Amino acid sequence: MGGTQKKKFERGSATNYITRNRARKKLQLSLPDFRRLCILKGIYPHEPKHKKKVNKGSTAPRTFYLLKDIRFLLHEPIVAKFREYKIFVRKLRKAYGKTEWSAVERLKENKPTYKLDHIIKERYPSFIDALRDIDDALCMCFLFSTFARTGKCHVQTIQLCRRLTVEWMNYVIASRSLRKVFVSIKGMYYQAEVMGQLITWLVPYQFSHDHPTDVDYRVMATFTELYTTLLGFVNFRLYHSLNLVYPPKLDIKAESELKGENEDEYAMDSESYPEKLAALSASLARVVSTAEEEDAQLDAFPTEEEDLEKVEAREKEQMQLETQKKIFEGLKFFLNREVPRESLAFVIRCFGGEVSWDRSVCIGSTYDATDETITHQIVDRPNVDKSYINRYYIQPQWVYDCVNAKVLLPVEDYFLGVTLPPHLSPFVEEKDGDYVPPEKLKIMALQRGEKPAQEQDDDDDDDDDEEEENDEDDDEEDEEQNEDDEDEAEEKNLKEMEKQKSQGKSLQVKVTPGKMKMENPVRLEQEEKAEEKRLAIMMMKKKEKYLYDKIMFGKKRKIREANKLAAKRKAFDDTEKAKKKKTKN
Amino acid sequence: NSSSITFNQTLPFKMAAARRLKRVAVSQPGFLGLKSNVKPSELVSSRRKRVNKNKKKNWNRHSDIHDVEDFLEDIRHQERTTGGLLSEKPDDSLFFLDVGQTDKAGNEGKASLVSPVTAYQQPNAKKLRRIAQKAEQLAAKGVLPRRQRRLLSRRPAEKTVKKAEANNNPDRDFYAMWGEEKVTDSADPWYLQQTGKKLVQRPEKLNQKPSVLPAVEVIAPGGSYNPDFLSHQALLQEAHDVEVQKQKQEDKLQRQLAFRKEDRATEVQTIISAVAACLYEDEDEAAAPNEDEADSALGAIAVAAKKTERQRKKEKAEKMKTQQQQASRRQTERQQQLFQLRSIKSSIKQQELQTKARRMKRKARQEAQKALPRRLGKLKYAQDLEVQLSDELAASLRQLKPEGSVLKDRFKSLQKRNLIEPRERAKFKRRLKVKYVEKRAFRQIT
Repeated sequence: MGGTQKKKFERGSATNYITRNRARKKLQLSLPDFRRLCILKGIYPHEPKHKKKVNKGSTAPRTFYLLKDIRFLLHEPIVAKFREYKIFVRKLRKAYGKTEWSAVERLKENKPTYKLDHIIKERYPSFIDALRDIDDALCMCFLFSTFARTGKCHVQTIQLCRRLTVEWMNYVIASRSLRKVFVSIKGMYYQAEVMGQLITWLVPYQFSHDHPTDVDYRVMATFTELYTTLLGFVNFRLYHSLNLVYPPKLDIKAESELKGENEDEYAMDSESYPEKLAALSASLARVVSTAEEEDAQLDAFPTEEEDLEKVEAREKEQMQLETQKKIFEGLKFFLNREVPRESLAFVIRCFGGEVSWDRSVCIGSTYDATDETITHQIVDRPNVDKSYINRYYIQPQWVYDCVNAKVLLPVEDYFLGVTLPPHLSPFVEEKDGDYVPPEKLKIMALQRGEKPAQEQDDDDDDDDDEEEENDEDDDEEDEEQNEDDEDEAEEKNLKEMEKQKSQGKSLQVKVTPGKMKMENPVRLEQEEKAEEKRLAIMMMKKKEKYLYDKIMFGKKRKIREANKLAAKRKAFDDTEKAKKKKTKN
Repeated sequence: NSSSITFNQTLPFKMAAARRLKRVAVSQPGFLGLKSNVKPSELVSSRRKRVNKNKKKNWNRHSDIHDVEDFLEDIRHQERTTGGLLSEKPDDSLFFLDVGQTDKAGNEGKASLVSPVTAYQQPNAKKLRRIAQKAEQLAAKGVLPRRQRRLLSRRPAEKTVKKAEANNNPDRDFYAMWGEEKVTDSADPWYLQQTGKKLVQRPEKLNQKPSVLPAVEVIAPGGSYNPDFLSHQALLQEAHDVEVQKQKQEDKLQRQLAFRKEDRATEVQTIISAVAACLYEDEDEAAAPNEDEADSALGAIAVAAKKTERQRKKEKAEKMKTQQQQASRRQTERQQQLFQLRSIKSSIKQQELQTKARRMKRKARQEAQKALPRRLGKLKYAQDLEVQLSDELAASLRQLKPEGSVLKDRFKSLQKRNLIEPRERAKFKRRLKVKYVEKRAFRQIT
């Protein structure tokens, strides 16, 4: 036994981690700068597994970083820029203090700046990587673009965010890639499918900001700084993938249409073009002008027979998608001034509709309310002054619900003054056995192409509901049926025998013409399947049987719960109806 | 004019002093400066000296009295050289009437050497004249001489150095970042690396996300602006549960902090009676305990008595005996285990099963933890749910009042995904105490 005594905390996890303060000192940066650097470079704090070991025996809560990460940061050229900026600020402050205005001007002219392009390239080596991380960027840019220009952040940042979001929306319109919309109490959720990636983003309502005090604006601004750069490059690539001109330009035809007489009322000359782009009412110019978009056909590969079903399913899905992309094609919308213009214009244009609004609401309106060819006018007020007979006056929820349902829903439920059906979240996917609200069932029936009786009476509605509930009951019974089918069949046979016997008792000997026994092939097949299943259950090992029973029990319980919810819903509806009747009386 | 220049040169001052003099001279309204072509704006330097002027010492040290001294010096100088102030002298003594060259004594030598005619002759007059004529002709045609042409053809130096634009410039342009990979620069990679021009490659591990949660978590279906009845109820239930949990914790804290009932201050009357009772009891029992203490002390000493040889032997034998017994028992047990093989096997199997189950459980917990926010700093992550009660729900989209803030939602999401640590806004801490002083004016009034 010899050698020097091992010292504590000189090997192992204690040397793999570094506290925030030590990291900051190592980089010679102030805390805000350090935080900014970490965000830009994508280096995040770690929670060590053995905190006490890492913290050298202390249990005080601290923020730790991996030492290797910090070492990696040491090579970053932006660190030098941060230091330069710090010195610039110091000099500027000094010049201000001495009231040396010429020096202030000179310093401001030579303000040190930095670019994040190399960081984007480093963090997202391929385009798909960037696209996967675009959700955050979109949320941030949409959020910052709605800020008032009151000094919470740089005005230029707000302008840049606005520009980028408008570019993004125009791309989504041009590529028709919007899939889902959800109007929530927080904001509007959109989901688009871009190059096979599902991209979700949240857009706040306009003018809804009360600036919360417990949010660090500096951190948010840093994230936005990174994300604006990212979104810009992604937009560039996306525009080029569609042969669109970047930065976006309006189509020549559309531009001439949009030429209003009194443009200068809306914006200055320098601002009117971006404003027109932001209005989302015109299509964009292409590099190679193609009259019609070529619909890319899926390549048909010779496949094995196993995959044939899959291929068919895929083709069917593709067809459905194509039809969904065009649900508003041929419709002409007019937005009243009280509805959220940008959101509705975006959604309608994404699905091929034409849209316009009042001249005084925004730049870029293409036709007036007096246009006879308008098919739908979107209104969100109790009554309208002047109504045209050849158009529907509907509430804005119709547009969103149609998009989510992927079909044109009946407009009757969305007329003025009608209590709207609930706006369901398209982001919920029910598994079989879950409770499905009746409204969704109705929509699903519509999607399948069934036409419910749409004579709008309260009583009829009731019947519908009941029918649906019956359907559910049937579903529930199906499970049991599979097992009980065999028994039932036997019972039937027995009953028939008995009948025959009883008939025999009456002794009416008669020769009746033979009846063809109609064999229902579907029924037979089902019976066969049920029989197979029953046999399979019988052949199960004890262990497997136990597991099977457990699963079945779970399923049944789920169904029971769903039924309970349905009953609850029915009770609620009944009470609502009763209330309504009372108020009517 | 020439006389004034010479006069200036004779001044014995150094340059700095001279500048100061000028400044003073300008500031004096009645004073006539000797050199008049200096503008007053050039004299006043841009920098001001800043010193406290509340002490007399500083007045002496820092106030600029050079001007006064220089002024006086100048006056003395004028008196010394001209016998009085220049401004007070009559014009006759300062100026004289120029009537042409009176004395020719100075020019005599030169005039004799060069005759007046040859003085005007040029040796190459003809050539010069021809050149001038040619130039005139060319100028009439519009052809410039070579020298001028060269001057004109010189490009103006590019003064506009391209300014680096800010990162958030709204008109900035983007380019194809993810095109086909550029061919690496022709420069030697070793050179680039050594000169610090090559970026260090980012470790692959840094591209992993610290949480498996999606960037945008969509609100529950009950958060719709016009929700389905049951999903809305479910969301309300969730929010309710959170509140109940909070309330429970608060109650628990209150319970733990509450003082016990026995600790409550008793009424005065009961205290007095209790104290009195104690006093009387004490007097009765005062003598008793002393005897007990003496007994116990003696017992303690008695235990420590010495063992006899016999006792020791006996103890030793007993010890040996028990050891032997134990050894034999162990032996038989081991032999018996041969017959218990089956049960041992089963127990081992059970143990293995148990460890396997534990491992599975641990793994599941670790998986679940990936989605949870980690503890990254002093504070724990706290979530808040946005809910609108049934009576707060809007009848139409127009009347919708948004709940919560998207900004906060994004901020919390960043925290939840372990991208930033949860923090509180730094509290303002006053380093020095504020001393309250009554203002004099205020004191006079009251």
